[in-house]
Amino acid sequence: MAKIELINVTKRFGKVTALKNVSLEIHDKEFFVLFGPAGAGKTTILNNIAGIQIPEEGVIKINGEIVNQVDPAHRNVAMVFENYALYPNKTVYDNIASPLRSPMYKKDEGYIKNAVMKAATLMKIDMLLERLPSQLSNGQRQRVALGRALVRDPNVFLLDEPLAHLDAKLRNLMRGELKEMQHNFATTSIYVTHDFMEAMSLADRIAIIDKGEIIQVGVSDEIYYMPKNQFVAQLMGDPEINLLACELVQDDRGFTCVWEEAPYHPFRLPEEPELFKRFKALEDNKVHLGVRPQNTHYHFEPVDGSIEGTVYSFETIGNKSVLTAQIGNSHVRTIAPNGLPVKLDQPIFVTVDIARVILFNGVTKEYIGRYDEADVMKLVEEQKSESSKEAGENHG
Amino acid sequence: MNNLVGTHSDGNMGMTSGVNTVPFKTRVRPYLIVAPALLITIGIMIPFAMAIYFSLTAYTFRIPNSTFVGFRNWTRMFENPQFWNAMSVTLKYAFWSTTVEMLLGLGIAMLLSNLKSRFSRIMRVALIFPLMVAPVVGTIIWQLMLRSSVGIIDKMLNVIGIYEAQWGASHQTAMMTVVMIDVWINCPFVIILILAGLQSLPKSPFESAKIDGGSAWFNFRNLMLPMLKPCILIALLFRLMAALQEFSIIFALTKGGPGDTLMSLSVTAYTQGYMYQKFASALPLILILWVLVNIAANIIVKAWRKAQYQAAGKEMEEAVPKHGRKGAKQAVREGE
Amino acid sequence: MTARKRLVAILQNGGLAIYAIFALFPLLWMFILTFKSDAEMLTTTFVFTPTLINYEQVFFYSDYLRYIRDSFIVSTGAVLISVLAGVPAAYAFARYSFKKKETIAFQILSFKFAPEILVVLPLYMLYRQMGIYDTYLGLIWVYQLISMPLIIWVVRGYFEDISVEIEHAAQVDGYPWWQIFLKVLLPLIKPGLVSSALLCFIFAWNSFTFPLLLAGIKVEPITVAATKYLAQSTVHYGQMAVAATCSALPSIIFAVVIQKHLVRGLSFGAVKG
Repeated sequence: MAKIELINVTKRFGKVTALKNVSLEIHDKEFFVLFGPAGAGKTTILNNIAGIQIPEEGVIKINGEIVNQVDPAHRNVAMVFENYALYPNKTVYDNIASPLRSPMYKKDEGYIKNAVMKAATLMKIDMLLERLPSQLSNGQRQRVALGRALVRDPNVFLLDEPLAHLDAKLRNLMRGELKEMQHNFATTSIYVTHDFMEAMSLADRIAIIDKGEIIQVGVSDEIYYMPKNQFVAQLMGDPEINLLACELVQDDRGFTCVWEEAPYHPFRLPEEPELFKRFKALEDNKVHLGVRPQNTHYHFEPVDGSIEGTVYSFETIGNKSVLTAQIGNSHVRTIAPNGLPVKLDQPIFVTVDIARVILFNGVTKEYIGRYDEADVMKLVEEQKSESSKEAGENHG
Repeated sequence: MNNLVGTHSDGNMGMTSGVNTVPFKTRVRPYLIVAPALLITIGIMIPFAMAIYFSLTAYTFRIPNSTFVGFRNWTRMFENPQFWNAMSVTLKYAFWSTTVEMLLGLGIAMLLSNLKSRFSRIMRVALIFPLMVAPVVGTIIWQLMLRSSVGIIDKMLNVIGIYEAQWGASHQTAMMTVVMIDVWINCPFVIILILAGLQSLPKSPFESAKIDGGSAWFNFRNLMLPMLKPCILIALLFRLMAALQEFSIIFALTKGGPGDTLMSLSVTAYTQGYMYQKFASALPLILILWVLVNIAANIIVKAWRKAQYQAAGKEMEEAVPKHGRKGAKQAVREGE
Repeated sequence: MTARKRLVAILQNGGLAIYAIFALFPLLWMFILTFKSDAEMLTTTFVFTPTLINYEQVFFYSDYLRYIRDSFIVSTGAVLISVLAGVPAAYAFARYSFKKKETIAFQILSFKFAPEILVVLPLYMLYRQMGIYDTYLGLIWVYQLISMPLIIWVVRGYFEDISVEIEHAAQVDGYPWWQIFLKVLLPLIKPGLVSSALLCFIFAWNSFTFPLLLAGIKVEPITVAATKYLAQSTVHYGQMAVAATCSALPSIIFAVVIQKHLVRGLSFGAVKG
């Protein structure tokens, strides 16, 4: 059990700066997700926490102690590598047993047998114990790597995209099992992924990283409903959020949002004092209206308030489909049921749930506000207290 | 990603604050690990320094007189026709043996790569054997074969009317003989190197070139050779450097004779230094040899680096073949 | 089309066959000679009565076994030293980055390319003064010039082939660096290491220039001894053939064993077979 802190950590590789002044605080027993695009620096953070790399600047603390000078063996961390890093010449049994035979964490063979069997059964690989890694499928190797981490009782689990190379079905299955394991083990876990669904379902808190910098840290609802900027909004959401470039026009009734693709059809923004205050504080009147595909709707006939476009594409993604409408030069994505009879270039009419939009500053791309912000904040507080209850201790 | 991640103690060369410096014992570790190897080999290299020093003295074994005579030994050497003969022999030998080995080696490697028969597969292993024989032993084997009294080659030449072929003993054929022996021993080296290079070539550029038509020679010259260049240059590097300083073969065959037809720089240095004990005059000879070897090595290594870079780039280019090379040229012409 | 292809195939096979004869006939002929008695040596070519007398003479009535012993001691000793000092150095070059790393590595490599004569003449004097002239130790030490660079550069390549993540995993598991080296890495490069060691052995076994000048009476490897045979007044060709065949045999056998790694070893890691 451990609290992990990164304080102003900078890591360079030659001329490349992988981490820029990163500060994170991961609570004890927390399931903390590092989320970001490829090359953002997520693996580098894990490597620095594990002690495989030492930062050029900044301090890493485990349980309040500075561990920069401590080598990995002494930090008591368990890590699951993206490419598994299994010992090719050892059997599955020996791979899983390996940490318990090292000078640091040595246990007797009886204990080892028990622990390995427990981990293997949990990972459902108990019938593969005599095989070599080369004789296993990717999914099986993944589970061996997880098993090797589970036999330990470490300060923290570091998991680097552990589900990345699995097929979708197995990934779904493992996701559920991971969450349950995390409950049972009650150990701090830091989980790296670039899959949005995984992040949302598994995390107590998520940290969004891009190009070596932390963009936002918060519980999943916070990040989804109140993304700090457009980048985060686009990252967290599948299908991707629609961003409409608008101009904010103030009139005697309040504000309207004029979309550059449909200037004849401005969106009347409902009255909301806090939001309007923020509008008035804007330097520029350029605003981006963010609306998730779940909050846009399509109609085959013109409807009150709808904007006309043509069907650009229709893609099925599993149990639902994405209908993309072309309006002017922009595309608007909306959710549709599978098997909808629709033809390309067919006229389509799109409406938007104005009450559900997220507003961004058109110039700085940062978050301005949303309509049910107060409700969302309440939701976020609930989520926060739930996870701390689960962690079983009081913060502060 | 970046390739510095493949090492330990990556980064942290600019130690900024106390807690972020790599611990001393980790920093010092690689030096300690390398130390034994370094001591053993550096120890042996003291002779280099000694050689240069002694080449400037009047040292002989009988009269250990290390008075500094400046460049006298060197000027004497340059004035000595023996030296120039040695240079000519060395360069001739290196040129002929390397050229034949490279061309023959390339040809045989291509044959082996194209043929899929059982015969060729066996040959790939069997062809290595001459390379594995010690050059001295190989020379002895050839001497026996060529010797008129017992040699099989001679007996066969008799059949077509050539008697008492002198091979190593004659001024005209001595060079040819040693070159032949060198080729016999070392050609397999070139063969297996180029064969390995051929086998590691990507298949797709050739498949797309085949679809586009184009003669085999065209494909060979413009597609295969450039991609093989790094491999060929490595083979050339090793062979040329070795041929320039070859000693055992010449020594075992004729010790430099007949006369001075085979007195290369190495053999001359040996004769002067070891047999006549004129140590100080032998050393400039080999130092010149060393300079030759270094110049050749530098040129070839530079060419190799460039060829590697180009070959990698070419592979990318060919990986998305739109028109093939012939078609691409045409497309460009049409676009003009 | 097929007829043309067949013609090309015949020509190609023919060309290969010609070279094959050039390459292998001498060895074959030498082998045949070992069974020919001196009496029949000059008179017959391929048809003769085979005899083992040459083998008898060489092994039991000459110093040949002694030469084999000397070659063996010196070659094995050289390989051992190179492996013990070179493999850790190869690891350091592969995994650590330290100042002047590549400079040192290339310096060691350049030793292999130094002309042997250049090294040997000054060494001759040095050895005499140090008293290691004509000793096993002296030869073993000088052989390091050819075997150490080979081990370091080739084994370095094998280390670099292993994903560094495996070492990270072992670190996290709790193993100190030297245990990782011994228990994780060495087993993984075993085939490559063995091949490199055998190739070193072959180079040392075949070395001529070094023992010619730096050893004489007490230590005499077979390469130097072989030249003595030729210098005899009455040459026993059959015995010569035995000497030649037997000294070539270990190298040939080892070469077949390490086939797969041969290209890599011979090119010092520049070409990955």
